[in-house]
Amino acid sequence: MSTDAVPRQPTARVSAATAVGSLPTRLISTFSGPVGLAVKIGFLSIVNAVAIWSLTVLASHDKWIPLMLLAAATVAIDWVYFMRRAVPLKFLVPGTIFLIGFQVIPVIYTVEVAFTNYSTGHILTKNEAVKGIQRAALTQPPNGRTYTMAPARAADGKLVLVLLDDKGGRTYVGSDDGLKTIPRSAVRTNAHGQIVSAEGYRLLKGAELFGIDRQITALTIPTSGIRAIRAEGLDTAIELEPSLRYDTKRDVFVRVDDGTVFRDNGRGSFVAAGGQELEPGWRTGVGLRNFGRMIHNPLVRKPFVRVFVWTFAFAFLVVLLSFSLGLFLAITLDKKGMRLQRMYRSLLVIPYAVPGFLSLLVWQGLLNDDFGVVNRGILHGNIPWLFDANWAKVSVILVSVWLTFPYFFLVSLGALQSIPGELTEAAKVDGAGAWQMFRKVTLPLLLIAVAPLMIASFAFNFNNFNNIYLLTGGGPATDQPIAGSTDILISYTWKLAFAAGKGADYGLASAVAIVIFFIVATISTIGFARTRVLENVT
Amino acid sequence: MLNKHMARLGTVLLAALAVALLLLAPTAPAAHREASATTIRIWTDQDRKAAVDRVTSAWGSSKGVSVEVVVKPFDKIRDDLKTVQAGQAPDVIVAAHDWTGQLAADGLVLPLVPKASVLKQVPKYARDAFSYGTGAAHLYGMPVTLENVGLFVNTRLAKVPKTWAQLEKAALAFKRKSANNLAIAVQQGAGGDAYHMYPFFSGLCGYVFGKTKGGSLNPSNIGLSSKKFLKNASLIDKWNREGLITSKVDSSTAQNAFLKGQAAFWITGPWNIDTVRKAGIKFQIIQVPKIKCRAAPFLGVNGFMVTKFAGTHGIESAAKDLVVSYMAGANAQQDLAAANGRYPANLTAGKRITDTALRQIGRASTGGVPMPNIPQMGSVWDELGGAWVKSTKGAGATPARSAFATAASNIRKKIGSG
Repeated sequence: MSTDAVPRQPTARVSAATAVGSLPTRLISTFSGPVGLAVKIGFLSIVNAVAIWSLTVLASHDKWIPLMLLAAATVAIDWVYFMRRAVPLKFLVPGTIFLIGFQVIPVIYTVEVAFTNYSTGHILTKNEAVKGIQRAALTQPPNGRTYTMAPARAADGKLVLVLLDDKGGRTYVGSDDGLKTIPRSAVRTNAHGQIVSAEGYRLLKGAELFGIDRQITALTIPTSGIRAIRAEGLDTAIELEPSLRYDTKRDVFVRVDDGTVFRDNGRGSFVAAGGQELEPGWRTGVGLRNFGRMIHNPLVRKPFVRVFVWTFAFAFLVVLLSFSLGLFLAITLDKKGMRLQRMYRSLLVIPYAVPGFLSLLVWQGLLNDDFGVVNRGILHGNIPWLFDANWAKVSVILVSVWLTFPYFFLVSLGALQSIPGELTEAAKVDGAGAWQMFRKVTLPLLLIAVAPLMIASFAFNFNNFNNIYLLTGGGPATDQPIAGSTDILISYTWKLAFAAGKGADYGLASAVAIVIFFIVATISTIGFARTRVLENVT
Repeated sequence: MLNKHMARLGTVLLAALAVALLLLAPTAPAAHREASATTIRIWTDQDRKAAVDRVTSAWGSSKGVSVEVVVKPFDKIRDDLKTVQAGQAPDVIVAAHDWTGQLAADGLVLPLVPKASVLKQVPKYARDAFSYGTGAAHLYGMPVTLENVGLFVNTRLAKVPKTWAQLEKAALAFKRKSANNLAIAVQQGAGGDAYHMYPFFSGLCGYVFGKTKGGSLNPSNIGLSSKKFLKNASLIDKWNREGLITSKVDSSTAQNAFLKGQAAFWITGPWNIDTVRKAGIKFQIIQVPKIKCRAAPFLGVNGFMVTKFAGTHGIESAAKDLVVSYMAGANAQQDLAAANGRYPANLTAGKRITDTALRQIGRASTGGVPMPNIPQMGSVWDELGGAWVKSTKGAGATPARSAFATAASNIRKKIGSG
């Protein structure tokens, strides 16, 4: 899919073909000896070591099904590489592993997410969310008390909090039974006001204290009504009261002061009849809802056609222009005996060699309307390269062509050299002119090699997020929300999912991504079918 | 012959390796689990790593807790917290206040309930920046550093203006001196920059979100189309005609202009103080003078949050002690703020700042508005920035009134879609 997969030049293929007998055999003979065996054992040991380590991790998390799959895969890999017979498998296994790791798993994950409400506020499991709501429901009541606190153990070993009221300075010992007043003289404090000792109680410190963190945070000391004192840190305790009550049996939250009921709405939230929603929610399946939103939500639907047409035009024009320019330059520089030929060729590859994001940012500066080199230094004009909707489209295409043409230049240069000289000679003998020769002989032969790459490049540019995002950010803005004048489907999806509504919406983003995948797949399939026709012609 | 021999040897080696690993492996996760009970893991960015190390290890050794500081790119701290496995998850994070709404709605950070004596150490607006709740608001982070933009004035090129009229006059006079000069250098570019433009927005009495009776931000009250602001918006059209501000200026253009003496006024923040000093420019930083309302900048507050994983790891009390009791203190904040070249939130630490420029930028924050921390803010940035771009792009600009009204209606649609 990516344009940086430069195919090996056909010329190289020819020379490699003559060497078929020698190089691989030599390689095989080298790697059949003790050296090869040592390398093999080394690699397999690493694979096994990683696998065994992973198995222990999986076991400690009680993930038994992945554990069995991993164990089976590891045994299978060992078997394949220790068996003399399984030669084809030896070559297939690494490829398959990479295919699964980098293609299949992300695709499965994307599809899975598309059917959930995974988004801001819907990250946790339901149990965690209920706990989170309960925690966030604890508020400080008016004139609630705050205390200086020290965790301690009573003579009978019971966990208590020694408390010093910040107002009035009375002292207590609090446990899950409630508060017990102790004389102020029994509690000693230091210069910072921290409690350093309490008569009859052993204060907890260091490892012993941290070891029982869960008991300390869970300890509630009832005071009056639903109010209770809780530890907040290591030396503070606060009187809090819950504003919501969780009814475990009915699985609802009830607001304490007015009895409002919040019910599970089936989409990962507790919601009141009035529409008020409790946070956090949780992650859950929502069926086809994300796909439904694409159809029903005007925000998604309205700009879709406009953005789709532009995306198609953008990808098509970039490929067409890059190919034309690349081919033109390749033919120009294909002359035998040309001076400085190598230098020209190297120079032309530069845009391709510079990291794309860097070129894009440089171009952004060059194209600045008032201060950029293009307007000020070269054109002495005032073209609104990035600020006018149509000019911005031109800019995006021009810069993308700049980044893409060296690829087609390289590819065409290689393909041209693979066209047998006899064919052009024969055409010349038949009296064909240069243009006719190019149209009837060179181009068709060239397209056999290059057309599939053009389709790949089209698919790549169809989803070329970087070029759009780094050059114009999708702008300039139109009057419609979200989709700017140069936004392509993928950058528009990104804005839809991460710069609208309530923060990030991974579920919706995945659903749109799946739709885009089908669009690209359809276009590519049609394209490949047509190239096959091309091959038949010749 | 040899091959067979080697193969057998290899099998033996593999078996040995496997057995050794099997013996080792079960102890490894167990040891990890045990250690996590007395180790606090903190995620921080590279800039603050050394200071966080220093400050937290001082706390750790006094409490008997070991501190593990993990470095992440700043925005990754927020994003990775959503997907991290509990085993690798942090107990405490360095955070920007505008993450508060998202992380609290996700349920990933814990509410903090400090005592009054702790609270009064940091100003109320800095605490508000970290407060969030659809009902009652809770504090989710301890503010540590403040940042905001101010008006940098090159004092060799212009007098420090006392009123908006003086600023406007001086800036336009400077611009007329040369075709290369900018009146007020403030970065926008094609993508827009609502953050740097905020002093002008608030100066015309604009606001992003109104407040509910309970004091929390109300995402259905959009201040881009408030009557008062739209009435004042015609001034933007005037500025556009005069060339006082233009959206063609992006960050590098603005910076170059100020450093080369082609702009006497630059709206930027503390992150550029060193750059300006190195260029040998004599400068003073002030708040943009009052236009129709106070031209207050957006405030960014950085601080520390306790994650829900602190509870999972059984280290919650210690994590809260670190974040609430310790990080609020003047000494810790002074060290952290100095490391980052920012103004500390702690009031006592603020008084100890001796760096002139930092003090000036601190003063320029007066009346500043914390960037809204509710997740709906994601729908605002592009639209607000875009409205400025459209209305200040020179010839062919959209009248500001209509640009901002459109932006407001788009924001409403976007928020409604969630």
